[in-house]
Amino acid sequence: MRERVEMVFLGDFEPDSFAEFMRHRARRLSISADARRIDATRVDVAVEGEPALVDMFEMACSLGPIDCLVREAYRLEQGR
Amino acid sequence: MSLAEGWYAVAVADDIEPGTSAGTRLFDQELVVWRDLAGVSHVWEDRCPHRGMRLSFGFVRGNHIACLYHGWAYDTAGQCRAIPAHPDLAVPETIKVATYHAAEAAGLIFVHSALGAEAPPPPAPVPSGRALRSLYVDLPLRSVAAELSKGFTRQDDGSYAGTLAGVPVLIFLQPFTASRTALHLVLAGPGDAVAVSAAGEALRNSFEAAPHSVLEAAE
Ligand code: FES
Repeated sequence: MRERVEMVFLGDFEPDSFAEFMRHRARRLSISADARRIDATRVDVAVEGEPALVDMFEMACSLGPIDCLVREAYRLEQGR
Repeated sequence: MSLAEGWYAVAVADDIEPGTSAGTRLFDQELVVWRDLAGVSHVWEDRCPHRGMRLSFGFVRGNHIACLYHGWAYDTAGQCRAIPAHPDLAVPETIKVATYHAAEAAGLIFVHSALGAEAPPPPAPVPSGRALRSLYVDLPLRSVAAELSKGFTRQDDGSYAGTLAGVPVLIFLQPFTASRTALHLVLAGPGDAVAVSAAGEALRNSFEAAPHSVLEAAE
């Protein structure tokens, strides 16, 4: 089973660093992560894959690389 | 100074019993050395792909090593096979630990320093060789090699041949960090292991006592 979700991360980002972090985690988890927007305060990414792996991706990104600070993470279909 | 690609001794084989693991370093790269229950030794990057926990803190179960943190289990090829929090998940092949080539010779475990690449043949076995112990010196490999070459002869496999307490020995060097080196001592003939061990310690102490400022400044 695969699911497709739109994730949003809010915080303070080094865009290149966060983009590379997402690419690396997505590759490792064999899911697709298509970044729609990455700027200094917000990241929007469309993620598709096995639900357990999508959850792991979300957890990893909500910690993020050392030079980024994620303050809030949510999924778009969950009413926001 | 960078690390020359090749085979490096990283442990005395008998120190890593089946079902156990230990952490070591090769030029600052953290490695886990572990032995499965079938007796085969493995050398990997000491980092769980999940959250980076050291696998050397993990548990060996049969032919898997399981991470201490969340229990992800890896087979002998480094492939993740089980994630306890998601028992029904078909774990993707991309969840894999970075593995090195490992081999045993002369009673030591060797690792080839290039990740994943095809490795040349490992060091030849030492006939009647018996690994004795490992000693650590707070000096760069280059300084240790310079000291050793005063009384020992460098062999093709990178080891140093000579005698300690009148017994023929081979010493294999491991660049542990940029400033710390391990000496793995192998008895190459019959002799008193206790005396050789004591002579090895005296040798190590003499290295640390010798002036090295010029050598280290060149690092
Ligand atoms: S860090 Fe290894 S299983 Fe989580």
